[in-house]
Amino acid sequence: MKNKTVDRISSVEDLEIIVDADAHVIETLDDLLPYVEDTGSKEILSHSNNEAMDIYSNQFPTPGFIDRSYDVDDLADKLEQMSDFGISAGMVGPTMSLNIASVSNANLAGALAQAYNSWVLDQWLDGSDALNGSILVTHHNPERSADEIDDRADEPSMRGVYLPGTGVVPPLGHYRYKPIYEAADRHDLPILSHASISAGHRSFPVQSRWNETYAEEHALVHPFTQMWNITTLLFRGVPEQYPNLDFVFQEAGIAWIPYLLWRLDDHYLQFGDEIPYLNKLPSEYVRDQFHFTTQPLGHTTTNGAHLAQIIDMIGPDSIMYSADLPHTDFDPPAELFNRIRSNFDAETVRGIMGETAVKLYNLDC
Amino acid sequence: MTRYNVASTDEFDGDGERILVEVDGLEIAVFRVDGEYYALTNYCVHQGGPLCEGKLTGKMSVGDDGVSWEYEEDERYVICPWHEWKFDVTTGRNVSDERYLTPTFEVIVEGDAIYVVR
Repeated sequence: MKNKTVDRISSVEDLEIIVDADAHVIETLDDLLPYVEDTGSKEILSHSNNEAMDIYSNQFPTPGFIDRSYDVDDLADKLEQMSDFGISAGMVGPTMSLNIASVSNANLAGALAQAYNSWVLDQWLDGSDALNGSILVTHHNPERSADEIDDRADEPSMRGVYLPGTGVVPPLGHYRYKPIYEAADRHDLPILSHASISAGHRSFPVQSRWNETYAEEHALVHPFTQMWNITTLLFRGVPEQYPNLDFVFQEAGIAWIPYLLWRLDDHYLQFGDEIPYLNKLPSEYVRDQFHFTTQPLGHTTTNGAHLAQIIDMIGPDSIMYSADLPHTDFDPPAELFNRIRSNFDAETVRGIMGETAVKLYNLDC
Repeated sequence: MTRYNVASTDEFDGDGERILVEVDGLEIAVFRVDGEYYALTNYCVHQGGPLCEGKLTGKMSVGDDGVSWEYEEDERYVICPWHEWKFDVTTGRNVSDERYLTPTFEVIVEGDAIYVVR
């Protein structure tokens, strides 16, 4: 890792490419309604009085202390904010639709995903080369999701398949999701799985009934979501079945990953007869096919060596910087860069800060 | 290399039987599998447990549908009593990760006599 004789990058300004590998747009139900193609769902959705409750099944333990609304809610503002932070490109995902797994009705969930995809292309992605996105699908009806992937895969700015991870029951390793993985594999599109607060209130891994604060819910829901999905994907052999399919896990930070990988390798070696699907250690599938976006790093203090050691344990090629802008727990580029720049050579730092994302998503930067 | 006479074939009632012997200060197990004899160190490379005192079992594999489990009854895998690491006694290799290798020894059978070469 540390070698004082190799090239270093001294300043975040010296990086030519910084990619926010987990950027967001802000959408409302009113934004999406005009784009809903299924007339029946459109009619029902138009009668919503409170979409968090009568379309989604979202719940927070408390309203929190401040109103978390966002000023950056159109393309021009988004590009300006990226420029302010020196970010050259973004892989965007939704905000409201992060919780699409909590929608009770499969028709409505499918209609909302279709509408989001049409809307994000029309309002955001078609208007900028700096932004790319992913085809939003839901876990409700995997065959319909596969059709959505087939329909959108030729869109040049759709560079992945977005399968939100919180509130997804059964978890992502279940064989019912085969049509989604097959479609993503067919079109050479990575699967992106993003956690979200509030979608999990009635399902594992975090039931907010017993979380009494937004803080408790938020602290646990992101990593727990990813731990469950990653464990089931690996132990049920999904990456073994699709050796060319990449997976990206977003917005859970990264410090917990070495712990999970040690644990999964250990369990594979002890309980291998329940896990006959694998031909190598779980951590080796992670090295070869999984990526993680970095935000939120957490309160890492200033000792970058600790963070760098964690990245080294996971494998630097699997790590991609993310800001999460415009959400209020975002990480500016310097928060990661300043902690890793003296601990990795220039090529590794450039990879983490953006070039790995460029390669994974074939971005034009 | 020296041949050590460690046992007689009469001491094995059949497949799946084993004997534990000490050869020049080292504990070695001789297993009988499919009429053949295999010798390996009674030492688990994981954390030094008494590997060869564990159960001898078959192995799980995946059915044609890619999901279901099929049990291969060929009982040639020993499970370490400490942490359940599982090794093929005919090769010494760990079933889940063949980079983990238990030292094995050549076995020679002459008449009723079983020799381990070390």
